[in-house]
Amino acid sequence: MLEVKNITKQFNSGKNKVSALSNINLKVDTSEFVLVKGESGSGKSTLLFTIGGMLNPTSGEVIVNGKNLIDLSEKERGLYRANKIGFVFQSYHLLPYLNVFDNIMLPNELATIKIDKEAVFTIVEELGIKDRLYHKPSQLSAGEKQRVALARALIVNPSLILADEPTGNLDEKNTIYVMNYLKAYQEKGGTVIMVTHGNLADRYATRTIRLDKGKLISG
Amino acid sequence: MKLILKEIRHRKFNFSMGLLGMITIVGLVVFFYTMTRATQQETIRLTRDMGFNVRIIPGETDINQFWVDGYSKLSMSQEVVDKLVVQKSINYAHLTATLHKRIQWRDKQVVLTGIASEEREPSGATKSKMIFAIEKGKVYLGYEIANQLNIAEGDVIDILGRQFEVSKTLTESGSEDDVRIYFDLETLQKLVKMEGRVNEVMAINCMCSTKNGDPLGELRAELQKIAPEAEVIMKSSVADAREKQRKMTDQYFVYLFPILLIICALWLASVTMTNVKERSSEIGIMRALGFTSWKISKQFFLRALLLGFLGALIGFAMGTILSYQLGPNIFSVAKISIAPNYTLLLLAILIGPLFAALASLLPVLWAVNRDSAELLKE
Repeated sequence: MLEVKNITKQFNSGKNKVSALSNINLKVDTSEFVLVKGESGSGKSTLLFTIGGMLNPTSGEVIVNGKNLIDLSEKERGLYRANKIGFVFQSYHLLPYLNVFDNIMLPNELATIKIDKEAVFTIVEELGIKDRLYHKPSQLSAGEKQRVALARALIVNPSLILADEPTGNLDEKNTIYVMNYLKAYQEKGGTVIMVTHGNLADRYATRTIRLDKGKLISG
Repeated sequence: MKLILKEIRHRKFNFSMGLLGMITIVGLVVFFYTMTRATQQETIRLTRDMGFNVRIIPGETDINQFWVDGYSKLSMSQEVVDKLVVQKSINYAHLTATLHKRIQWRDKQVVLTGIASEEREPSGATKSKMIFAIEKGKVYLGYEIANQLNIAEGDVIDILGRQFEVSKTLTESGSEDDVRIYFDLETLQKLVKMEGRVNEVMAINCMCSTKNGDPLGELRAELQKIAPEAEVIMKSSVADAREKQRKMTDQYFVYLFPILLIICALWLASVTMTNVKERSSEIGIMRALGFTSWKISKQFFLRALLLGFLGALIGFAMGTILSYQLGPNIFSVAKISIAPNYTLLLLAILIGPLFAALASLLPVLWAVNRDSAELLKE
């Protein structure tokens, strides 16, 4: 499904260049649940953003369904993200001026996406936030916010979920809730690549890879 | 648009600050423009009251004699006015045909002055009259004559064998006008047997500053082509004062306008910068959801267009109200010319939103070109 070939990413730091990723090679098949682990600054998030087409690598390729993501135009990459990828972040990144319903419907602002309102009602029911549908993010708990973010990511039926520390701000109960939901998504045929620090997610993963100073050291 | 309106409602303060900037610039531009127009009107009126600055006299006139006597003893056809009216190359106004003749009357030297009953304007322009029109069979008396000879309004006087009613005695002018007896031009022409003749056409001319710095030379050259029988004399002090005053009022707005624009552009740019900074993570998540840079920029530009449109409308209203409030205290004559300028409203509605969008351009470009990963970390 996804293949990362010789990805290197360097950032400019003053006059120096810092390598965030060095020659990463990775293959992820459909319906895998891959955990990406490593210390802070090891390049986990950089890898995730590169796979998501939000960051251009300095060199290398990201092959998705036979196409190199790096060669796509901004518009094509946008289409790829809109239709194929769901992002979930530690800080939820909900739009503060939209209620839960409108936040989940946000991808609908794109011409290529048509979200059925019924699908929103179904997903909020599944995620247990139905009674919060017309609340603003400021009125939600951390767990509820992350469930809204999850709903927004899944509402377009993506084939890949990229999750950057999605449980980092959650208590254990909500962490388990989110992880179970991601696991259920994976078991239905979706692919999950999740960046995490802790070990709580280990039992949900089909594979764990480790990064150290931008290099893939295991997995 | 729904998204934009919701965002505006959420960040009322930021939008209000932007709107305030836009209202201020449009309001000030409308106010200063209206005031400048009023100043120009007031200046035109005040400088007009400084008197005629161009005197067109018969070409053969001995200038020494002209200055000694105060008028030309020669005459020219009254048709010279028709020639001046139809020409396009010289900027005249208030063309007034006159006839002057000095006589001894009741042991006094007086100047009989006939003034055409109508002032002529080039190209069919209409202007308010500078001088008085005298009824046929009646005269106006200069202050000194009336005072020294003890003549009052309503008296009937005999001049060169004809009876005239004094319909007005003029107030003291402090000039040779105090020893004039004013007639309707046609009346005087008949009285002194000079029908169809004049010896001076008075006018106001605004061509005081020219490319070669010699306005009188240019005026004479132009007049030579149109009416070779005539010569022109210009009161340069009056002309210069008029020109300087007009230039000053024009420049006043020319300098002020860009300053206002720059201040407003900086204000709007900083408000937009605050807005895009506040919305960093929003831009990041939109990217993650598949929004292109253009789609994200559009959110900001539509917001700016809305801000510009509202600012233009409210600013126009505020500027006009301010002009109405303050104008009459500043301008005694031109206050009646202060009125809503709907062309300015149209321009404000067209240019205001574009200006607001342009002022937002750099902050928006900066925001959408930032690294998405960096935006999502903020």
